[in-house]
Amino acid sequence: MFKHTLALFAAALSIISVNAFADNAADIEVEQPYVREVPPGAMATGSFMTLTNMSDQDIQLVQAKSNAAKKVELHTHVHDNGVMKMRQIPAIKIPADGQAHLKPGGLHIMLIGLQDGIQAGQTIEMTLVFKDGSEKSISMPVKSVMSHSGHMMSH
Amino acid sequence: MKKFIFFTVLLGIVIGLFILAWPFSQQNSEQTTAHLILNDKPVGGDFTLKSAQGPVSLSDFNDKLVLVYFGYTFCPDICPTNLGNLALAYRQLSEDEKAKLQILFVSVDSNRDTPQRLKQYADYFNSGIIGLTGSKAELDDIVNRYGVVYMIHQEDPKDEHYSVDHSAFTYVITPGGELATQLPHATSPDDFVKTIRTYLTQTQP
Repeated sequence: MFKHTLALFAAALSIISVNAFADNAADIEVEQPYVREVPPGAMATGSFMTLTNMSDQDIQLVQAKSNAAKKVELHTHVHDNGVMKMRQIPAIKIPADGQAHLKPGGLHIMLIGLQDGIQAGQTIEMTLVFKDGSEKSISMPVKSVMSHSGHMMSH
Repeated sequence: MKKFIFFTVLLGIVIGLFILAWPFSQQNSEQTTAHLILNDKPVGGDFTLKSAQGPVSLSDFNDKLVLVYFGYTFCPDICPTNLGNLALAYRQLSEDEKAKLQILFVSVDSNRDTPQRLKQYADYFNSGIIGLTGSKAELDDIVNRYGVVYMIHQEDPKDEHYSVDHSAFTYVITPGGELATQLPHATSPDDFVKTIRTYLTQTQP
């Protein structure tokens, strides 16, 4: 009996201690997040943003969640002599005191199997999960690929 | 007898090395193909593919400047970026210039992209874009002549959300059907406009 209580106590303590140090989310600032509107019938879209790390430790974004799609994955693009290869990656590193830029043609959060047509003017809710288990909820607008926002035009 | 053992061991080593090297050579082939194809100067030429309105040939637009882009509708980023930039360029053109231009979007993913689906997708950009696709044999003939590279990237055969690696150039074909140049991925709308105007004025009758 005593063993059980001790195990339970230890388990509880470990959960508390994980939470106590789970502050990655607090050190990350999310700027200008948006989801790209897709043509009707398209099954996937990308979400883009700038992540700023305000701590002196590298932070890893390991997962993103959203009800807007069946699957949400972290992706990057590899340019191979003009061939664009999109690949899933396990994590996006946000360097200490630095930034990770998620932008068209590069790192992005991919929404696969869109539940409804995603249209400009809507707002998508997303949760970012960091390596320490901490989470950050963000809301982002859906923007048209043809809006003159400047985000789509990488030179 | 000793010789026999020696050769058996040698043969074993050779076979072993071959098995070890096999997966690597398979992996590398994706990249080396890309290099080989892109190093040749594409010849271009006429082609006929399916649209929602029936067959469409490049030669149907012999009196126009034609821009061709190869991609697929499940493409979440690269294709919408490029077609979006093309659409922004299209909006800057005069009615006269628009009448002398045709944009074609060729899907290399005909398993999922039906002509109907492609029409819906192309119409979204509101730039008169015609969506086209065809059988794998038809597509492979065209991509070889245009120097397009594409590879279905499907790790799980049941995955319906697979991605397709593809080159992302926009091909510029002058009136008459000659492949003039190719523009890199994410060419800005302004640069598209410049190129379109350059080739339209060059080919004024």
